[in-house]
Amino acid sequence: MILIKNVGVRRLVRVSVPFILIPLLAVAGTLVFDVKRNLFVSMLIAVLALLLFYTGFESKTVGSRRMVIVAVMTALCFVGRFIPFLKPMTALTIIAAVYLGGEAGFLVGSLSAVLSNFYFGQGPWTAFQMLAWGLIGLFAGVLSDPIRKSRVFRTAYGVLSGVAYSMIMDIWTVLWYNGTFGWKYYLAAITTALPYTLSYAVSNVVFLVLLFEPFGEKLGRIKKKYGV
Amino acid sequence: MEFIKVESLSFTYPECTAPAVDSVSFAAEQGSFNVLCGATGCGKSTLLRLFKRELEVRGERSGRILYRGTPTDKLETKVSASRIGFVMQDPEQQIVTDKVWHELAFGLESLGTPQDVIARRTAEMASYFGIGSLYEKNTAELSGGQKQLLNLAAVMVMQPELLILDEPTAQLDPVAASDFISTLKKLNDDFGLTIMIAEHRLEEVIPLCSQLLIMERGRIILSGSPRDVIPRITDADIMSGMPSAARLFSSLDGRGACPVTVREGRDFLTGSYRNSARKIEENEYTHSPDTALGFKDVYFRYSKESPDVLNGLSFSIYTGELVCILGGNGSGKTTSLCTAAGLLRAYSGTVRVFGRKLKEYRNQSLYRGCLAMLPQDVKTVFLKNTVREELADAGIAPEELPFSLDDVLERHPYDLSGGQQQLAALAKVLAVKPRLLLLDEPTKALDPAAKLNIGRVLRKLRDEGMTIAIVTHDVEFAALFADRCMMFFNGKIVSEGTPRSFFADNSFYTTAISRMTRGFFDNAVTVTDAAELCRRNGAADDTD
Amino acid sequence: MRSFSEFNPAVVFLYFMFVTGPAMFCSNPVILVLSLAGAVTFFLVRNGSAHLKSHLGFFLLFVILALINPLISHNGVTVLFVLNNNPVTLEALLYGINSAVMVIAALYWLRSLTQIMTGDRLMYIFGRFSPKLALLISMTLRFVPLFSRQTAKTRNAQKALGLYKDDNIIDTILGDMRVYSIVITWALENGIITADSMSARGYGTGRRTSFSVFRMGLRDVILLIVTGALFAVCCIAAAQGSLKFGFYPALSRLQTDSTALAGIICYGVLAFLPSVIDMEVNIRWNLLRSRA
Ligand SMILES: Nc1ncnc2c1ncn2[C@@H]1O[C@H](COP(=O)(O)OP(=O)(O)OP(=O)(O)O)[C@@H](O)[C@H]1O
Ligand SMILES: Nc1ncnc2c1ncn2[C@@H]1O[C@H](COP(=O)(O)OP(=O)(O)OP(=O)(O)O)[C@@H](O)[C@H]1O
Ligand SMILES: [Mg+2]
Ligand SMILES: [Mg+2]
Repeated sequence: MILIKNVGVRRLVRVSVPFILIPLLAVAGTLVFDVKRNLFVSMLIAVLALLLFYTGFESKTVGSRRMVIVAVMTALCFVGRFIPFLKPMTALTIIAAVYLGGEAGFLVGSLSAVLSNFYFGQGPWTAFQMLAWGLIGLFAGVLSDPIRKSRVFRTAYGVLSGVAYSMIMDIWTVLWYNGTFGWKYYLAAITTALPYTLSYAVSNVVFLVLLFEPFGEKLGRIKKKYGV
Repeated sequence: MEFIKVESLSFTYPECTAPAVDSVSFAAEQGSFNVLCGATGCGKSTLLRLFKRELEVRGERSGRILYRGTPTDKLETKVSASRIGFVMQDPEQQIVTDKVWHELAFGLESLGTPQDVIARRTAEMASYFGIGSLYEKNTAELSGGQKQLLNLAAVMVMQPELLILDEPTAQLDPVAASDFISTLKKLNDDFGLTIMIAEHRLEEVIPLCSQLLIMERGRIILSGSPRDVIPRITDADIMSGMPSAARLFSSLDGRGACPVTVREGRDFLTGSYRNSARKIEENEYTHSPDTALGFKDVYFRYSKESPDVLNGLSFSIYTGELVCILGGNGSGKTTSLCTAAGLLRAYSGTVRVFGRKLKEYRNQSLYRGCLAMLPQDVKTVFLKNTVREELADAGIAPEELPFSLDDVLERHPYDLSGGQQQLAALAKVLAVKPRLLLLDEPTKALDPAAKLNIGRVLRKLRDEGMTIAIVTHDVEFAALFADRCMMFFNGKIVSEGTPRSFFADNSFYTTAISRMTRGFFDNAVTVTDAAELCRRNGAADDTD
Repeated sequence: MRSFSEFNPAVVFLYFMFVTGPAMFCSNPVILVLSLAGAVTFFLVRNGSAHLKSHLGFFLLFVILALINPLISHNGVTVLFVLNNNPVTLEALLYGINSAVMVIAALYWLRSLTQIMTGDRLMYIFGRFSPKLALLISMTLRFVPLFSRQTAKTRNAQKALGLYKDDNIIDTILGDMRVYSIVITWALENGIITADSMSARGYGTGRRTSFSVFRMGLRDVILLIVTGALFAVCCIAAAQGSLKFGFYPALSRLQTDSTALAGIICYGVLAFLPSVIDMEVNIRWNLLRSRA
């Protein structure tokens, strides 16, 4: 994101490219390439999208206080992932995004995915997880105003991001098992993953309700004292 | 041009009326050793932070600090970062990375120093500070003292000209503290480093000090060389923090130059007093027959592979006693208190509280009025957003407290000064009103007057029947208030006794007065003891 | 005498890319079997009989993965039997097994990779490309155990002050919630202080260099060249289509021309290289000790 000067365009590109391109290319890959290439292409895209963000982050001057807060939120996500059944990761990512901005959200989501996978099992799926969680954070940053103001919207976003996460990961599941994307497989994957989808959505809502305001208060205190 | 010049500097925290630093002005030469002291919460840390603009918190600031004639906020960022080194109050919080070598390299990396220079300088500094063997270790595995040294080394690799230290020895044992101070002296001598240090433990630093600055409520009330300043101190609270030699001198109304070091104190004593009466008579110490806390052959280790931290520990503390436990950093004192409080479980041996084994206390009954513990890290005691809520939560009214927290009731506990946090935490523990009170380093970060006050409060509680066990590095405190002292070494109690016999026997773990009077008097360990013996003996020139 | 994990981290990391790359993107059964055998051997050489239970888990996963495909996919010409009106074919079964070998091999490689690539090694590699990100990651990794420790410490402190009134679940949960809440406040505050300590030591004043204790020695360069060359041969073989293998509609024949053989042999050497290095170190060490 070094070349584009206009903020609006930059944001648009940053949001749309990875999110629209990946599923599109993954599906298009089925038609164009033969077996297996598909997985390759989509993984490449995922990695590229991540690189895009990280170069953007690298070229920016980020205050060290802000950066450490991102590290703290990421570490909290990581620790939270050890809680059995209910996972606060997505909720924390959303909170970070709303209070610290979309880029912070993307970083928290994607980094906590890759880092916690060192405990929970690293694999080719990591790139997808990073992207899925990162995007949840990014969009939460874009939508921070309504999320902050309306409780209903917040809950809806929580449910939606749980479902979206599960569905993105199902695309991956299909690609990995099968090499190509197929709607039949995808449907099967979505059905088997239903309990997970449900638990993600429930976790998100529960933790958003529990944590959103206390975190606002705590981050507010820090902002007031140190002017982050 | 002066090296450092502070011109009518003031600072007020947001939502506070009184300034924390109030029109402070002073100057310091290059290569000088400046010591800043004053009561808890008088603004020392705030003043020091103002020297580094990177450490700024929000608030209203006026006046300026000139570094070689340039105001610090106009200094180039690289100069400010590398020339002014800062070691914070809490060693844990300053560490940024997870490996010792990386921590040492961090500052140089940030300045864009080439790799080979980094390699050379970090290696050199690590050896200079004696932490070369830790080079590849994880920072989390270091003991408190090692962390402190690492912080100092990590700042020194950047070759600063001004080194600022905020209570660096608060958690070090007497031997380590003394080593640390001699390292500072070496840096000051070898590199001409200018040092600015805030301290409550003045015994060791005053002899090195070229400028002593005494603060009170944000203002500097006295400054100059210690020999000039100390005789001018009128306030008893401030005097109580000065070196023992000076206090002895002033309590005997000595004439001539005021002694400040142990050696000068000894010369003063031997030159001016006789020593025909060498001993303070003591009544035989008797304790009650009931044990409040009993350890018998207790063994404990943190993990299966690590060595024993408690190594056949056996001791008894009797009801109604005030016992101080001393010992080196990492010798296992905190571990033994946690075992006593049932927070850690020994793998062998028994721990009894008031005659009952720990596991017979079911359903948290141990913690209901029976036993309470103040942990070493007092930040873990707080749960609420203001001190007032904190006290209300503990069920104690601010008026009932034996010390005043009135100024800070509406503050967040994390916005207090180090000493105020200590007091607030102590208040919460006292509110439990337990029969057995365990305190882990309750006097660290407190000014001497506040310490004396706490000592008196604890004595009073003991007289009302409470049993109190205190782990401390503060030998002066133990000498003044303990009924019995114990020495912890290598997971065991190796010696114990009443303060007079205990400190008179030790050579390093002992008070300055005991060192000063060694061979002259037999068992003087506090200033009062020594003054009493001197008065009894009379002046040397009275004889003829 | 260095074991494989002690080579320069960048070289080790590249090796893992080299060895997993061909296995993930080509379906030649011989390559895949070699990959699995190499991965499992290396894991066993490093860990011995530890983690035995986890091997069982991998085996189960293998069976499941192998069986899923023939049940869903009905391509292929050799029908084995008919289930619920759907044919189950030999080709689909073999394809399932082939995919399972690939997945399990990749997982074994990744396990070894995760074991070897500790935080400081990763920092060494990625610190060059992105010092800022590397620092962010290294801080996060330090915070994780720090927060766990602070939580334990706070819980203990509060327990000794009587926060937990009874031994029942409700009380425990309520108490724990208050502890978590304050630990989060602490974490943020502590983070800021850490940040200040960073800027106080010059962070953000200009371009960072990245220092590390790892060096690139002659042996590292040799290993890099050898593994790179082996990988290149595999790539050439794959690019020429010599490693192609199709399952549908009928199994194709394994090619045995010289390029295919060269590719397979090179891959085999590549896959077993780390195991050989480690075993050699073990043997030499034992010899040295027995002589002493
Ligand atoms: N962030 C803050 N917000 C508001 N007030 C503060 C803040 N930090 C400190 N104070 C107040 O400013 C005063 C000076 O604090 P400072 O930390 O400088 O004291 P100190 O002299 O270092 O004390 P100690 O010896 O206990 O460390 C204290 O009354 C303290 O309560
Ligand atoms: N949680 C822990 N896990 C592993 N080892 C520990 C832990 N806590 C302490 N230790 C080790 O146990 C030993 C005793 O530590 P302890 O905290 O009891 O020392 P201490 O006497 O209180 O020291 P100090 O005076 O510095 O507070 C040290 O070597 C320390 O490194
Ligand atoms: Mg202070
Ligand atoms: Mg301790």
